[in-house]
Amino acid sequence: MASFIERMCLYRVLVLSVFLSITQAVDRSNFKTCDQSAFCSRQRAMKPGQSSYTALLETLELSDSHLTVQLLNNNNKVLLLLELYRLQGNMTRVKINELKPIKPRYEVPDVLITDPPTELMSVLAQDEHRVVLSLGGEDWRLILSAQPFRLDIMEGPQVLLSLNSRGLLAFEQLRIRKDTKSQTDTEEAGEKEDTEKHDKEKVSEGEEEEAEEEVDQPGMWEETFKTHADTKPNGPSSISLDFSLPGVEHVYGIPEHADGLKLKNTDGGDPYRLYNLDVFQYELFNPMALYGAVPVLLSHNTHRTMGLFWLNAAETWVDVSSGQGSSEVPQTDVRWISESGIIDVFIMLGPRPNDVFTQYSSLTGTQAFPPLSSLAYHQCRWNYNDQEDVSAVDQGFDEHDIPYDFIWLDIEHTDGKRYFTWDNNKFPQPKDMLQGLLDKRRKMVTIVDPHIKVDSSYKIHTEIRSRGYYIKNKDGGDYEGWCWPGNAGYPDFTNPEMRKWWASMFAYDQYEGSMENLYTWNDMNEPSVFNGPEVTMHKDALHGPWEHRDIHNLYGFYVQMATAEGQIQRSGGLERPFVLTRAFFAGSQRYGAVWTGDNAAEWGHLKMSIPMCLSLGLVGISFCGADVGGFFKTPSAELLVRWYQAGAYQPFFRAHAHLDTPRREPWLFGPDNTALIREAVRQRYTLLPYWYLQFYHAQRTGQPVMRPLWVEYPEDIATFSIDNEFLIGRDLLVHPVTDERSSGVTAYLPGNGEVWYDVHTFQRHDGAQNLSIPVTMSSIPVFQRGGSIICRKNRVRRSSSCMENDPYTLYVALDSQGNAEGEIYIDDGHTFKHKTDKQFIHRRLSFTANSLSSSDLSPDSQFPTASWVEQVNILGAQKPDAVTLTATDGGESSVEFEFDPDTAVLTLRKPGVNAGVNWTLHLR
Amino acid sequence: MFTNCSLGHCHIIVAVVLWSICVDSRKIRGISLSYKRFYRERKSFLCIDGSKMIPFDQVNDDYCDCMDGSDEPGTAACPTGRFYCTNLGYRSHYIPSSRVNDGICDCCDASDEYRSQTPCQNTCRNLGQRERAEVEGQTRVLGERLRLKQLLIEEGVLTWREKQAQLRDLQRVSDDLQTQLDDLRKEEARRKEEADALREREIGARETADNSPTSHYRPESPISVFKELDSNRDGSITVDEVQAKLSPVQDEEHALSEDEAVALLGGAHRVDLSRFEETLWTSLRTGDSVTIKGRRGVPGSLADEDPNIKAAVSAAEKASADLKRVEDAYETVYMEIRDLREKLSIDYGSEREFLFLHDQCFQLKVYEYIYELCPFSQVTQKSASGEVVSLGKWGSWAGPPENPYCQMRYESGEPCWQGPTRNTMVMLICGTETALRSVKEPSKCQYVMELQTPVSCQPALRQRGVHSEL
Repeated sequence: MASFIERMCLYRVLVLSVFLSITQAVDRSNFKTCDQSAFCSRQRAMKPGQSSYTALLETLELSDSHLTVQLLNNNNKVLLLLELYRLQGNMTRVKINELKPIKPRYEVPDVLITDPPTELMSVLAQDEHRVVLSLGGEDWRLILSAQPFRLDIMEGPQVLLSLNSRGLLAFEQLRIRKDTKSQTDTEEAGEKEDTEKHDKEKVSEGEEEEAEEEVDQPGMWEETFKTHADTKPNGPSSISLDFSLPGVEHVYGIPEHADGLKLKNTDGGDPYRLYNLDVFQYELFNPMALYGAVPVLLSHNTHRTMGLFWLNAAETWVDVSSGQGSSEVPQTDVRWISESGIIDVFIMLGPRPNDVFTQYSSLTGTQAFPPLSSLAYHQCRWNYNDQEDVSAVDQGFDEHDIPYDFIWLDIEHTDGKRYFTWDNNKFPQPKDMLQGLLDKRRKMVTIVDPHIKVDSSYKIHTEIRSRGYYIKNKDGGDYEGWCWPGNAGYPDFTNPEMRKWWASMFAYDQYEGSMENLYTWNDMNEPSVFNGPEVTMHKDALHGPWEHRDIHNLYGFYVQMATAEGQIQRSGGLERPFVLTRAFFAGSQRYGAVWTGDNAAEWGHLKMSIPMCLSLGLVGISFCGADVGGFFKTPSAELLVRWYQAGAYQPFFRAHAHLDTPRREPWLFGPDNTALIREAVRQRYTLLPYWYLQFYHAQRTGQPVMRPLWVEYPEDIATFSIDNEFLIGRDLLVHPVTDERSSGVTAYLPGNGEVWYDVHTFQRHDGAQNLSIPVTMSSIPVFQRGGSIICRKNRVRRSSSCMENDPYTLYVALDSQGNAEGEIYIDDGHTFKHKTDKQFIHRRLSFTANSLSSSDLSPDSQFPTASWVEQVNILGAQKPDAVTLTATDGGESSVEFEFDPDTAVLTLRKPGVNAGVNWTLHLR
Repeated sequence: MFTNCSLGHCHIIVAVVLWSICVDSRKIRGISLSYKRFYRERKSFLCIDGSKMIPFDQVNDDYCDCMDGSDEPGTAACPTGRFYCTNLGYRSHYIPSSRVNDGICDCCDASDEYRSQTPCQNTCRNLGQRERAEVEGQTRVLGERLRLKQLLIEEGVLTWREKQAQLRDLQRVSDDLQTQLDDLRKEEARRKEEADALREREIGARETADNSPTSHYRPESPISVFKELDSNRDGSITVDEVQAKLSPVQDEEHALSEDEAVALLGGAHRVDLSRFEETLWTSLRTGDSVTIKGRRGVPGSLADEDPNIKAAVSAAEKASADLKRVEDAYETVYMEIRDLREKLSIDYGSEREFLFLHDQCFQLKVYEYIYELCPFSQVTQKSASGEVVSLGKWGSWAGPPENPYCQMRYESGEPCWQGPTRNTMVMLICGTETALRSVKEPSKCQYVMELQTPVSCQPALRQRGVHSEL
């Protein structure tokens, strides 16, 4: 066991040579800086100045749906085609491609849920220098300037956003290689100057008719990083474009980075990098690329929130530069650089944060509505050793009266890292095990990674090989790399046929030992290749006609897509899937949950879990969590408890631990800590109806579940940089304790005129203040917004399924006017019937004029529920003389109540009404 | 996670069937007989903690009124409540209220799922029968096991006595050898003095005769030179000693470097007499590189000359050899005594019942590994390729204070990659045979074994019966 595992680890060290280091921190030298990435270095060497592109207005064509115009590169005379679309919902799409590329350039498929519907564009004015287009509204305009080429989006006299205003549009056209001799990749310091000089000369000669012969630069046709050569048969193909955002000081998004919520200035350092990578022991506060990439950036100021969606799946770098623009107006400049593909950018014009979320989700879809149980607590470890171990851990939760819904098995459960199989010795009867869990209404997740052991006796491998579904190396053979099983092939998930086949492997008769309570975890899908460049795949590997270079950031997206599809299919399309992924791209929210990868048991990582998940939420991926306790290293009992307390209030709530760390099930740290963890987990379970409602909304509207404060308080500048606290939906504000031996935290309670109630003490606080909160080990500072109604289920049971029919307790938190509103959503918790058969309950709860009533928000839907209302707590209330209940049939009855004058909480005893019907409670 | 040891599965000895008289006509769900008195039907109900008075019809009305949960013994309404499974025919027990009507059968009499869709069967009678049969079987087996235990304890007593006797014998031999040693040391000193005196005399005579300053006649044997150089009398010559006592022939003021000294000792840092004769002694005899400080010439050629001296030297050598032999014997006995004392100092349990495990090893094959436990010594893991890894050396008993002998800790095994050293916790469980039952590795490099042995069986102290109750 241990020595085998050790060998695996040693093997990992050896194979990766310097990939692992004993120093317990990321080895930066394994990953490229911009300087070490030829195209980034080339592009970044280009400085702002006058653009060499001219829009040839005589080529302008305007159709109902879009406008096209050619762009001329004055230096090399290459023509580009610009396409402009006005999209429904206040968005503009700008596409730039070569007019006549010598071969097609990659355009990202499958990420947009539909061809975005367009709206009519009309020309308001035109002369030889510019064209002014109407974007609708009263005074929304788009100005296309010809020489130099730039685009400005205006509202009235104000520029909202400019494109190419710094002249950084650069589009390396595909070209025929001039010589067959390979260029050597050399250091470029000296040659950059030559390049610039060369460029200047070109500008001065710009009037000449003949195109300048372009000189090849190092790294254009071949590039070497460490020992890995990247042959570039297609030569240079990178693209770059700049955007200026006048009046903007705060920009967010472009995950995944282990960095604060607000993006930093990248001047003088590396740009933020988007390139899905398996980074061992990643560092905090760093623009280095991590496991996933969503090329979406949000800008925000007190007047307006906007978004930029750069639809490109190749390696991408993003420079952010904030400072004073002209006339001392703050300005943020953003520049995107990608290695290949085309420029395809969606400008989402807001103006409110929720508008941007709506706009973005209209393009890439919303968060998949997860099974209710997946919002509960997950217990994971690398690894639960065998069936007996699983059963002992399961039993441990019952003995210590801690609820959980899912137990997870990492790679060791398989037969030699052959996914879809079980280790016969350790898991001889997987169905018995799953049945045991099912009997307790619990579930399991097994890992299924996309690297497939090359082994002729392994059915999955032989099938993929014989069907030709593997990714090919540059020479046309099956690409092979090293990962957990040793030598492995990587299925080409970009191939829809392959995805279909993969999905079919999750059928109960294909995945032996699987049952309906078994779900899936896709790890290592960046893809991770231990002996590949930057621990990932060679860019010259081939996915059909496309290079891996073109699709890299999409690979993990497709893996999760195919897996989720498999889970849907195995139930005949009835059951909602649950799939966790480590790698992701724009649109991944449609397929399940994401976690922040291999973090560490350190206070800094606990803190970082908040901005990392907030950033993901802003770009559509709401179902986010970090490994509770930290993956690498061993948490102190205090850190573990604090992490449970924070994790209980983050969307995906799973404890996980590295193989080398001691066991850390919640009851192993003494009765006091067990009690603290139990309490944190129980708080999660009581709030499951609220979480479920938030995900219902997220699915419908694309609003993030876990939100930065500025999303709800967009005019309160004090909220713009806060990333140590957050909102769940609109109504719960959480400020987890993330410092060691903390005796207090200062939480900012936003909103002038808003009131906030401490959910534990019901103490009332006014908004727009920094509140000092003394804390003990049991404290989890959480506040409910005055004006909201939150439904909880206070009967916490062994698993969320056991709580299905339990009654609700309503927490009605009155605002300063004595009103409150909330919603309740109920369905079966796991099927698609809410969608297909309209089987659900969605009701509004509203407290106004001393009456609390429940009314139907979706009269055409139906769902029978046994749940009822057992208690109503009205926070900030006054003592009534009497309380009466008016039921659906009009019958009236009196309701007992208690009033606590110290806390101003009025508790109504057992209204007893069914949760799915109309009723009113009157306070007199 | 290792602090609670069960004393075996033997606490249920006899099934005691309790018959109670039906005292109450109104069934209050979820309470035990002893709590019935709190739930006598009146107008009102006082929460058992005395905190609140509520109308009696709010008892078990599926709404939690009492902080202590006492008003809802039969529903899931109170977070702190508990439900009493009467389990007629089997063992009654409490479950948390949250398990009432949760769709999972907890009470064998199915009483916890009175309002759920999950059909629960009353399995108490079967369980009771099975358990009673088991208990009977176990009672029988336990008798046998306790008998075996007694035998092993007796065996332990005998072994203990044997070892004590062995220790006494060894002690006697040791004392004896000590006396011999004293005599032989004196004898050796005397012989050496005699031989030295003869040499001195001879040298004196020769020096008178031949006043050569470079006289090569030195009446010394390898043993005496060895002893002379061996300043700390530890039976070996070290580099330090060479550096202290010897110098180069050409320059007596100059000290030998460590490397030079090592070279003289034939590349070793320490030599015994026989190695000395092969190495340094040869150098000293040729006399062209080093010499003993403050002395001229080459030692050791004189004895050949004079038969008297030769005889005296040989007698001295013999005395030395005799001494050496007895010293060796003494050393051996001394080590044996030390080992035995160490063994006897181990805690073998209150009745030395675990003594018999000493000198035994137990093996178990788990997947591709063979695990071996040698109690009070060590734990190892052997892989299919034959590689042996130490999983820990005997550390201490590690059970809870009330039952320390139910766990053994073996620690400081081979270090783990990037981690601490391997260690093993051995749980002792009651069984007929003494054998290794299981090996697990719950966390990396932390092993848990189960060693089954009759010695860990305990007579049933309490009789917790399977009983019936109304």
